[in-house]
Amino acid sequence: MDCIKSFRDVKIRPALIQLLNLGILICSALVLWKGLMCMTACESPVVVVLTGSMEPGFRRGDILFLHMNKEPIRAGEIVVYNVDGRDIPIVHRVIKVHERKDTGEIDILTKGDNNPVDDISLYSGGQLWLNRHHIIGRAKGYLPYVGYLTIIMTETPMIKYALIGVMALLVMTTKE
Amino acid sequence: MHSAVQRANALVTIAAILLAALCTAASFLDSFNSPSVQAHVEVVKINRFKRQLDGNDEVKMTLNISMNLESIFTWNTKQVFVFLAAEYETEKNSLNQVSLWDHIVQEKERASFRVKVPTKYPLIDQGSNLRGKKIGLVLHWHVMPKSGRMIRDKMPLSYLSLPNSYTTKS
Amino acid sequence: MDWQGQKHAEMLMQIFLVASAVAAFAIGYFMRDFRLMMLIYAGGVVLTALVTVPNWPFFNRQPLKWLDPSEVEKHPKPQVSSNTTFSSSKKKSSKNK
Repeated sequence: MDCIKSFRDVKIRPALIQLLNLGILICSALVLWKGLMCMTACESPVVVVLTGSMEPGFRRGDILFLHMNKEPIRAGEIVVYNVDGRDIPIVHRVIKVHERKDTGEIDILTKGDNNPVDDISLYSGGQLWLNRHHIIGRAKGYLPYVGYLTIIMTETPMIKYALIGVMALLVMTTKE
Repeated sequence: MHSAVQRANALVTIAAILLAALCTAASFLDSFNSPSVQAHVEVVKINRFKRQLDGNDEVKMTLNISMNLESIFTWNTKQVFVFLAAEYETEKNSLNQVSLWDHIVQEKERASFRVKVPTKYPLIDQGSNLRGKKIGLVLHWHVMPKSGRMIRDKMPLSYLSLPNSYTTKS
Repeated sequence: MDWQGQKHAEMLMQIFLVASAVAAFAIGYFMRDFRLMMLIYAGGVVLTALVTVPNWPFFNRQPLKWLDPSEVEKHPKPQVSSNTTFSSSKKKSSKNK
């Protein structure tokens, strides 16, 4: 009876310390992410390309580094935008820009490089143009392949659970 | 005492950091590349110049475009997206930029060419301001790297004065 | 692995990896081939992993001298008094007494 109790007691403290370490790791990752969000003035400073609509330039699984500033948006830029009512951001290129003289407001039209037509059918309802407030980021940097892990994890949740399970096991069983 | 697993962990971490350093260095060297692009555009014919039903002007033309983009390519260049934009000012808009034609160049060997093409996208104005308008034809290019920073640049080529009246019946 | 071997293994790992990266970059840049750089670097990483991660015998030239079991019996561990660090077992030992 008492040897079982002592076994339980001895293991709790190191296990709690391990959990705390994990917590610190997660928090520092979060701090890094939030810091990046502030630096780039962008809601999601890094996005993973999900579709093949920008091929051959961007393939599924590539990642894009975004930023956002007040500088005027011009044709040729690659922007990430959200259509009202949809929550999957779209990464396409700006092909038309009309900038109002009086307000500085802009009407833009986008199109995926690999798409035969422009994005008008993607905009909600009878919307013909995108405006600045739809744009959540402008792409300035690129890294191939790195995001593929994220795609695998979102599309096959089994792998995500397996990964978390393995990591939890490692955390619990390492002695340091 | 470190186990093999811990050494493997250290290896993966260092290898990943060095990989990131390699990509950054490759991209950094790109900024020292000063390309000199030659290009020329000529409007062969205005195929359509009319007023649409909703009141907006529409122009379609055939262009003769030639360019040499070879100096843009570096070892870190994946592809160059090049497009020709019509740029002009109207009473209501301080800037109108409309892409007329675009092309993707994936290899340096195919970066110098000449084409005679109809405009891929029609020039549609917000309004009816194009009669007699002088529009600038500007060549833009977007360098997409194998890793790192993307670079955009442009070069104004020539001007086109549109006719004073529509050439096509609405 | 022994202590010396471990130090050597870790030093080798760092040197090999950095050297692979530098060599890959230099060769790739002069050959104007990005893919070549990646391949050389990947090769270097794999080579480094093969040499430094597993417990090769050449890392165990000065094996640790573990105490022989017969020696342990000759020098028994000093008895710990009733003042222990685990308060629960202290309570138990006082209970048992």
